Amino acid sequence: MKAGKLLSQATRSMRRYRLRTLLMMLGIVVGIASLAVLTSIGEATKRETMQRFKNMIGTFDTIMVRPGGGRSRGMPTLVNVPPTLRFEDANAIASELPEIRAVAEMQTAFDVDVKYRDHAASPVVIGVSPNWLELRLEEVADGAFFTNEQNASLARAAVIGTDLRAALFPDEDPLGKTFRIADAPFQVIGVLKSRGAGPAGGSLDNLVLVPVNTAARRLFNRDFLTMLIAQVKDPDRSTEATDKVAALLRERHHIQPPALDDFTITNPAATMAQVSRAGSTLTKILTGVAIMALLIGGVVIMSLMSIAVSERRKEIGVRRAGGAARSDIVFQFLFEATFVALAGGIVGVVIGWGGMQLATRMQKLPPILVWRPFATAILLSLMIGLVFGIYPAWKASQIDPIQALRS
Amino acid sequence: MIEAEDISKTYARGDGGTVEALKKVSFQIAPGEFVAVRGASGSGKSTLLNLLGCLDRPSSGSYRLDGEDVARYSDKQLSRIRNARIGFIFQSFNLLPRTTALENVEMPMVYGDGHVDRRRAISALERVGLAARANHFATELSGGEEQRVAIARALINTPALILADEPTGNLDLNAGREVMRLLEDLHHEGRTILLVTHDDAIAAYAAREILLRDGAIASDRSGASKPLHPAVDPVVGGAV
Repeated sequence: MKAGKLLSQATRSMRRYRLRTLLMMLGIVVGIASLAVLTSIGEATKRETMQRFKNMIGTFDTIMVRPGGGRSRGMPTLVNVPPTLRFEDANAIASELPEIRAVAEMQTAFDVDVKYRDHAASPVVIGVSPNWLELRLEEVADGAFFTNEQNASLARAAVIGTDLRAALFPDEDPLGKTFRIADAPFQVIGVLKSRGAGPAGGSLDNLVLVPVNTAARRLFNRDFLTMLIAQVKDPDRSTEATDKVAALLRERHHIQPPALDDFTITNPAATMAQVSRAGSTLTKILTGVAIMALLIGGVVIMSLMSIAVSERRKEIGVRRAGGAARSDIVFQFLFEATFVALAGGIVGVVIGWGGMQLATRMQKLPPILVWRPFATAILLSLMIGLVFGIYPAWKASQIDPIQALRS
Repeated sequence: MIEAEDISKTYARGDGGTVEALKKVSFQIAPGEFVAVRGASGSGKSTLLNLLGCLDRPSSGSYRLDGEDVARYSDKQLSRIRNARIGFIFQSFNLLPRTTALENVEMPMVYGDGHVDRRRAISALERVGLAARANHFATELSGGEEQRVAIARALINTPALILADEPTGNLDLNAGREVMRLLEDLHHEGRTILLVTHDDAIAAYAAREILLRDGAIASDRSGASKPLHPAVDPVVGGAV
């Protein structure tokens, strides 16, 4: 009960010195708002990046092998890769390496003309082995995926993405319909579940999947791969598996160091770890900057409170004469500092939250609500008030009431 | 009520030496007495007032207030005594700035049991004739009104001892007379009043006068000759 009255005394004196209270809050508001904005943007960006990566590569227990010695940009296609990665390489990796559970083969071609009646489109056409679906953790929304038998018999079966369905079959059920891929007739047997956006922001749903053997013999007439995806048995040892795959391919391709590899292996698990590390480094730097701002806010509180204490000497003397013990004075000034900091923190969080909404909208990121930085910010402002309020409060309690009353 | 025995107060000086502001002062004040403490500046009267008001502790000697030896009390204990038993009235009024008259009067209640009784604060203001000014800020009051608010504040916890340090020093004659009348009324209600002044006319209100000189009591006269209600107004002089 007594504490409550002391609190009301403290809030009253804060109202009496409005300008000073506002100035004290300002530093904390700026610090907390920037802390909240920066950390949430960092966190939201990181999550979004991770999500896009995941959309592109599907799973984290696979490694990808592309032909060519690296530095090639963009998606590998039949026209931009050397013919060095063969179907036999895929078989050898699958059968000879115990670390590998399965290998999916891919032949990719961009901008292939497809037609159905008077509808036309230019999707990505990818020949894939039937295990692609499982390795990529993709799902078929309607119909079915092709089987090993269909792949072996060079079946003209196709699974299409949702964008292509919208382009070719806007008003009808595509299943069972025959359409043309570069003049060759294919029957739609399935529609892939929508995959969303890739890391560059583009849609991943404008595609046709056909059996890779059909693609190689009937469509593209190429006997090399644009990519193979190897699923490792133990994702924690993907680096080891990567080395094994590289060694096997070097042996098969007769590459002796220092000759350069004619293939490139990417290990998504390792890449992801790097991405999230980079993200957290960014978050750390931004947090550091905001904490600096907060510390400055704390110092502002400390100096303004110290000035307030000297200016309010007489008040302190009168309160002491009226029966305030030193501890009551400490409590009053400490509460004022803490309350100001906390109020600044709350205002900062509100401003920061608004700023974050604005920033995500401008960056076209989906608004991800990250509550943790805000909770941390409020707690932090409370602590700043306590830490930086202690010294002025203690100073106030040490004022000699006799001197103060005489002044 | 007050039993001071051999109380001394020594201050350290900047050059390493010491100043003896009070030298083994002994006296007693009975409940209900109206005592004026007089003396030139530097005679030790402020020091004595601070000691009696429990704002300071004597360097040696004993000070018993209502039978309680408070000379070695802790800060918390002294604060409790100031809060419950002593009302201060200052020369410069010392109202809290940017604060209403009512809030000023309520202030000592906060440091008591924490229960702020607004009605009691208003009746204290009524007592000094300022109930209508309860929500005025200190800056909106005249000097005399400020001092009367200060008196209401000193009375709020019904202290037995009222310590007034030159209460009329910053007031004009009329306002000063008003304040002295209030103090006299309090005296008649049975409160113990100790008044520090260097003004003969103000000291004349008190029935007893302690004169300090160089930190020691030079004289302690009970003014039996002084009437309780002086026929001559000592402030303005002449017949009332």
